[in-house]
Amino acid sequence: MESLHGLGTTTDWVVMVIYFVGIMLFGSYFAKYNRSTNDFFFGGRRFSWWLISVSIVATGVGSHSFIKYSAKGLEHGISSTMTYMNDWFFMPIFLFGWLPIVIYSRIRSIPEYFEKRFSPTVRFIATIFQLLYMIGYLGIGLLTLGKTITPLLPQSFAILGMTIPVTMMGVIVAIAVITGIYITFGGQTAVIFTDLIQGLILLFAGILVFIMGINYLGGFDKFWHLLPPDWRLPLADFNKPPDFNFVGIFWQDGVAGSVGFLFMNMGLIMRFMSAKNLDEGRKAAIFNVLFLLPISAIVVSNAGWIGKAMLGLTPAPLNPGVNPDEVFVAVTHIIATKGVFGFVIAALTAALLSTVDSLINAIAAVYMNDVHAPLKEKFRKKFRSKEIETKKELNAARIASAVFTGIGILAAIPFSTYPTVYEAHGYFHSIFTPPLVAAIFLGAFWNRFTTAGVVVTFLGGSSLMIIGARYPGVLITPIAHGIPMDPVHPYTYISALYNTIVCFGMGIIVTFLQDPLTNLVNNIKKIPNHKTYMSGTVLASALLILLIWLNIGGLPLLLLASFVLSFLVALASVYFLKFDPDSHLEGLTIWSIARAKELFKNGKINERDGEIVKVNWKLRDDAIELINVSVKDMERMSAEVGDIVYLSDARKYLGGLKSVHTRLGEPHTEEGVVYIGTEDKENAQFVSGRVLSIEKEL
Amino acid sequence: MPSFSHSWLPFIYLYGVGGIFFIGGMILIKKAKILNPQKKLDRRWKWLLYFGFFYYLAIHLIMILAALYW
Repeated sequence: MESLHGLGTTTDWVVMVIYFVGIMLFGSYFAKYNRSTNDFFFGGRRFSWWLISVSIVATGVGSHSFIKYSAKGLEHGISSTMTYMNDWFFMPIFLFGWLPIVIYSRIRSIPEYFEKRFSPTVRFIATIFQLLYMIGYLGIGLLTLGKTITPLLPQSFAILGMTIPVTMMGVIVAIAVITGIYITFGGQTAVIFTDLIQGLILLFAGILVFIMGINYLGGFDKFWHLLPPDWRLPLADFNKPPDFNFVGIFWQDGVAGSVGFLFMNMGLIMRFMSAKNLDEGRKAAIFNVLFLLPISAIVVSNAGWIGKAMLGLTPAPLNPGVNPDEVFVAVTHIIATKGVFGFVIAALTAALLSTVDSLINAIAAVYMNDVHAPLKEKFRKKFRSKEIETKKELNAARIASAVFTGIGILAAIPFSTYPTVYEAHGYFHSIFTPPLVAAIFLGAFWNRFTTAGVVVTFLGGSSLMIIGARYPGVLITPIAHGIPMDPVHPYTYISALYNTIVCFGMGIIVTFLQDPLTNLVNNIKKIPNHKTYMSGTVLASALLILLIWLNIGGLPLLLLASFVLSFLVALASVYFLKFDPDSHLEGLTIWSIARAKELFKNGKINERDGEIVKVNWKLRDDAIELINVSVKDMERMSAEVGDIVYLSDARKYLGGLKSVHTRLGEPHTEEGVVYIGTEDKENAQFVSGRVLSIEKEL
Repeated sequence: MPSFSHSWLPFIYLYGVGGIFFIGGMILIKKAKILNPQKKLDRRWKWLLYFGFFYYLAIHLIMILAALYW
């Protein structure tokens, strides 16, 4: 397999620099719309569905997709699209179960959900798993960037008489440094608008490559018949080969990946949370999955299909030994003219860089929110004043970003041993998503799921996952659906099924054993020095984790250690962690969403259907966050005093950029006029003389 | 001609096992009374969810037929 080098011309590099500068300036313009941390992280819950929907494209398409799906398009054909077209199965529970819980419970991170639903200890454990998931994602992102940029660079360059070879890991380190200085312009609002334009450009660039490719081959019919019959099918062969089979990818991507992406990808969830209301979030998700994902599937894969069709031409314009991960760059280089090649690569690289940059920020945010802040709160009183700590916080965030970037580079090393990014990403999803997916699923959809259950899902489940990875021939083969085992990378995809089963299984078993465990703990509490004994179980659990991690003993001993570990962890959880069903379930599971709405509104919800009214606005000279409309307008909206309303500039093309959520105050008699306070006016940045629309939400 | 394990078996498995997840989700949201059948908007959401399932099923069906016979 040959690696490409030195493909970019001067024109291409000029186009790339112009593109990067343009995107940065575009993002910086929207930074002014952030006035609070709510705006910074969540875009202030204001945007229309279409804006969210297009901005999501860059999240899904921009990250790794062009490289990995083009590679599989070359190797296996149209079936490279299947991971883009298997997301619908979990839409009902995502849109009507998880999304309302996330929005109405006002959580800011997935670990925060675990604290509200279970306990601070569970939040801490979930934070570790969430950080591992995000760092893994960062490693994949850096690896993909390395694979995209390396072909554009020369094989080596000379500085002060020394010849320095250009290697992929060297490029990854350089990218990580550049990412550190690539400025994030102003939080989620800027990200949404930057991604909006990048999403559109990426779709355009991908379609452009497809049209140029079809044109190069001599038309669609020629292209279609140049593909071998097996390359035209939309789904892969059921269980072979090991590196690309349907059933493995169904469990890895269609189940673990889809649920992981929808339920725990904070980048995606924050987009939906920035929608003006729940229904707009749902519309954005549905439009994305029904229309943009099938288009995106073609956009990201087609360079591989074109490459395969090129290999059927005589003479073949594409080197048959091309590295699959470089086929996107290689095919684009063949079919595009100078400048156009630079534009396509710039669009891809900028989106990748933006994704990696956002990911580093998100990891730093999780660290600051879920690790640094709780630790600071614990030690502040003893050691330092609040003022000194606040000054140090910014530095801590910067150091955290740098450290996690370094860890991300290290994470890219094991992933780089896989033949393609696709397999590395598949393995990553199989390993990192099942514990969090099982914990979120059982927590959100099963009232009976206990704190002991969730802790064992994480610790007992992951210990069985480690054992499964060590002994795949014994533990995974029986459920592998006949997939042959690759001894180097055993069961890259179908291991997701095993991992999902053990995580769900441990959580469910322990939850059903809650009563006997509680009785046992009650009996233990009657023994003198019971706290010392129970502290001993925590120590023993840590030793067992070490034993499993270091693979000491054979399979039977490791399995025994795993079950003993799960029992001790369950016992310690029942003993140490308090669980109050009233406060830990209310509004936090699918069974109490109506209550979640009431808690969100802090009052009884008003679900009567009403009209959207258009009004002119007048400014009050106070900062109270209430608006006053006429009695008639309130009747038209079917609204009452205290209801939450969405007030926005009536120009729909703004997508809610100039808008604010507020509450209804006492009505007046001036029909068609709304009185707003200075705070609401500043938050929404309304323009004098512009008509506003008001919509009742709850 | 591609084998059954490459053409129809993945399709049957995808919409069989995937269908179980989908129907399970629909039953869950019905039991949790999140969609109110009295509300027009909620009825629309429900039918849109079913539409999405059959929409993807139809796309894959047409693509397999095109691969096999065109």
